[in-house]
Amino acid sequence: MLLAACVAPAAVVFAAFWLLPMVELALLPATKGAATYFAVLTEPRYLQSLVQTTLLSAAVTLVALAIAAAVGLYLGRRSFAGRRLLLAVLTLPLSFPGVIVGFFVILVGGRQGPVAGFTEALVGERITFAYGITGLFLAYVYFSLPRAIASFTAVAERMEHELEEAARSLGARRWHLVRDVWWPALQPTALAVGAILFATAMGAFGTAFTLASRYEVLPITIYNEFTNYANFALAASLSLALGLMTWAVLFAARRFGAATVGAGA
Amino acid sequence: MNASPRRLLKAAAVAIGLLAGAGAWAQTAICYNCPPEWADWGSQLRAIKAKTGITVPPDNKNSGQTLAQLVAEKASPVADIAYFGVTFGIQAKKEGVTAAYKPAGWAEIPDGLKDPDGHWFTIHSGTLGFMVNVDALKGKPVPRSWADLLKPEYKGLVGYLDPASAFVGYVGAVAVNSARGGNLDNFGPAIEWFKALKKNEPIVPKQTSYARVLSGEIAILLDYDFNAYRAKYKDKANVEFVIPAEGTVVVPYVMSAVARGPNTANGHKALDFILSNEGQAIWANAFLRPVRTSAISKEAQANFLPASEYARARTIDYGRMAEVQKAFSDRYLREAQ
Amino acid sequence: MTRRRRHHQGRVDAPVLLALTVAVTLFTVLPMLLSVSAGLTNNFSRGLASGLTTRWIAEVWALYGATAWRSLLLALACVVVALLVGVPCAWALARSRSRAARLFEELLTLPVAVPGLATALALILAYGQLRGFRQSFAFILVGHVVFTLPFMVRTVSAAFARDDLQSLDEAARSLGARFVQRFLGVLVPAVAPSIVAGSLMVFTLSVGEFNLTWMLHTPLTRTLPVGLADSYASMRIEIGSAYTLVFFIVILPMLWGMQALARWIENAHGSSPGPRR
Repeated sequence: MLLAACVAPAAVVFAAFWLLPMVELALLPATKGAATYFAVLTEPRYLQSLVQTTLLSAAVTLVALAIAAAVGLYLGRRSFAGRRLLLAVLTLPLSFPGVIVGFFVILVGGRQGPVAGFTEALVGERITFAYGITGLFLAYVYFSLPRAIASFTAVAERMEHELEEAARSLGARRWHLVRDVWWPALQPTALAVGAILFATAMGAFGTAFTLASRYEVLPITIYNEFTNYANFALAASLSLALGLMTWAVLFAARRFGAATVGAGA
Repeated sequence: MNASPRRLLKAAAVAIGLLAGAGAWAQTAICYNCPPEWADWGSQLRAIKAKTGITVPPDNKNSGQTLAQLVAEKASPVADIAYFGVTFGIQAKKEGVTAAYKPAGWAEIPDGLKDPDGHWFTIHSGTLGFMVNVDALKGKPVPRSWADLLKPEYKGLVGYLDPASAFVGYVGAVAVNSARGGNLDNFGPAIEWFKALKKNEPIVPKQTSYARVLSGEIAILLDYDFNAYRAKYKDKANVEFVIPAEGTVVVPYVMSAVARGPNTANGHKALDFILSNEGQAIWANAFLRPVRTSAISKEAQANFLPASEYARARTIDYGRMAEVQKAFSDRYLREAQ
Repeated sequence: MTRRRRHHQGRVDAPVLLALTVAVTLFTVLPMLLSVSAGLTNNFSRGLASGLTTRWIAEVWALYGATAWRSLLLALACVVVALLVGVPCAWALARSRSRAARLFEELLTLPVAVPGLATALALILAYGQLRGFRQSFAFILVGHVVFTLPFMVRTVSAAFARDDLQSLDEAARSLGARFVQRFLGVLVPAVAPSIVAGSLMVFTLSVGEFNLTWMLHTPLTRTLPVGLADSYASMRIEIGSAYTLVFFIVILPMLWGMQALARWIENAHGSSPGPRR
């Protein structure tokens, strides 16, 4: 009874402003025929976009997790002047909208940027990476790192060190340390944060929009359908596909995490 | 329980939000797609404010976004007036999001450039070509033809707006298509050209990129003469406008009154001004061809390229152009993206 | 106790980790610095040689200044609503064993999986007819709340699920305290660090939200990220940079203030295993 009353406001807000509208949206593709729901599978261009988005998001997640774990391990277990400031600076991009990150990539890697000037001095040609897969990948990593660094630093701060010291004193090599001491301690966080990173990367629109990237991601495909004579049915169908794919990966990650959770979840 | 004070707070928050939103409605007309950096809408919006007292906030949507947003908001429109390329105007009427309105000066608009019922009407037109930032070319020759753009020396230097959502993008496709032997029933040449252009790593933004040309980020942009002239004469940039040797097209941009907009009267006043002598003169001074040609001054005319160049620019059947747009967009997204 | 351990840390694999940390710091900071300098120079392509100026900032403030306040107020309102709605919900979900609760928890995270464009379109189609609502900030607020609620609920419910809280609650109940007293006097303070962490997260997400807001906004309810996108696309690179600088100037103090508040609350409540920043 009490529990129900406590959940009620959230349930009302969620139902009214997400669930019901989404149900309405989910019915849109039907207006163009039931086959529209499967457009992502039947039209090669959409399928390619979905695959590209998933691959990019997965790659970005893995790279960001790996780098952030290293940084978190370093920052979480050391104490030096300015550490807090450094952490604040490293996690600052959390507040950036994706468009800023896209802008940064154009600033650095566009035709007017320092990289182009540098390559011109070096090889005589202005090389820009902003508008291709490289620029997009770097941008996605840029906005994924801060969240992961914040989480890993927090976990590393609370890591128990007896295990590691024992391992070292027994002569364990670095690789064994990583596999048997660090990884189990970081794994729950890695899964939780990785899920958020993946979901964010899958749904990211502003960055690719600003970059006008050649590598097409599904949110941009959805935008294209949306503005192509207001093709809402197809935009809705693709959105459902994207949501489903993201949710499926998150679900699998949670199951995997629950199955392997040992001490210290 | 403790639910009531919470609900009260929430209601209060919503009420404040509504009030804050409502307060801004005095003497306003909402325009979709009035970007200050395009066709000098900045000056037009300022003039509308000065002469009629109506504030029209700038808006950066492109034609495709405008239509999509209008359709999404059909049940209760947010905009009062909309500006887009002619094919989108035709489609907007089909979707039922426009209202009939014939501003003062209606009679002077040629028949082919307005909807007989008043759902859309041309306010100005432009000719598509190459807007070239000569400095950004760093010594390379200025391209003179569609074929030139395919040369490897222009790698990374070419840009064009997305043909699937921006009207100017679609016009570029139609222009290169007709220049290279195609017509509105056969977009083969255009698709082939875009595919070939891909080797040169073009930049394909979705929204107006005037500033990117001036900064040199995009050295060669498929854009209209008016944007290029403005860069050259108003912003004093080293920009040149090129009408491609194989030919190009002239297209009108239209405006519509939005059906059941929130400030219909203000919207009408704004449209009246845009079509008035003063409004049209602003377009003329910004190097567009105002639809009421009486408004062009000799000085403005002098800055255009000579008529011999413009002989290569043709008009086309805009109705047909509207009919085939969706099919072309689909094909472009499928094959040439 | 942890501090003592840290001082024995000298044997952490310093070189590789240090190198990576330095690289990441440069990677993160250099674009910000470049952007700030671009917003202050006369001409970006000529670089610092063209001199420093504040005219871009002045221009940006005239064009887009209002968007900064809108975004801040929107974010604060979002935090307030997320707190009011999310904290009780978090407690209920932490305590409940029912399948309905697990299902609801799962559902709550869906807005994060579905692209913002779709959620926004759904909202417009469902509620677009309510003209007053549609054209107000409440419309955008609703979108933000729905998107940030799972973050608040997840963070706080993890803290509510702690066993020592259960016993605290039992103890208070056996002493005769009613639910409201227990909730506001015992439970909420006990998870205060998580609540603050959740609020910080919600604020940050709302201030930077673009995917939803881009479709939900009207020319009169433009927020900072939407304005930024416009300026990047169509304005000079110096103006875009100056606008980014304005974003920093406006957002940073708020963020640091909230982080300081978080640390203060954490210290005031003694050491707690809540997430630390």
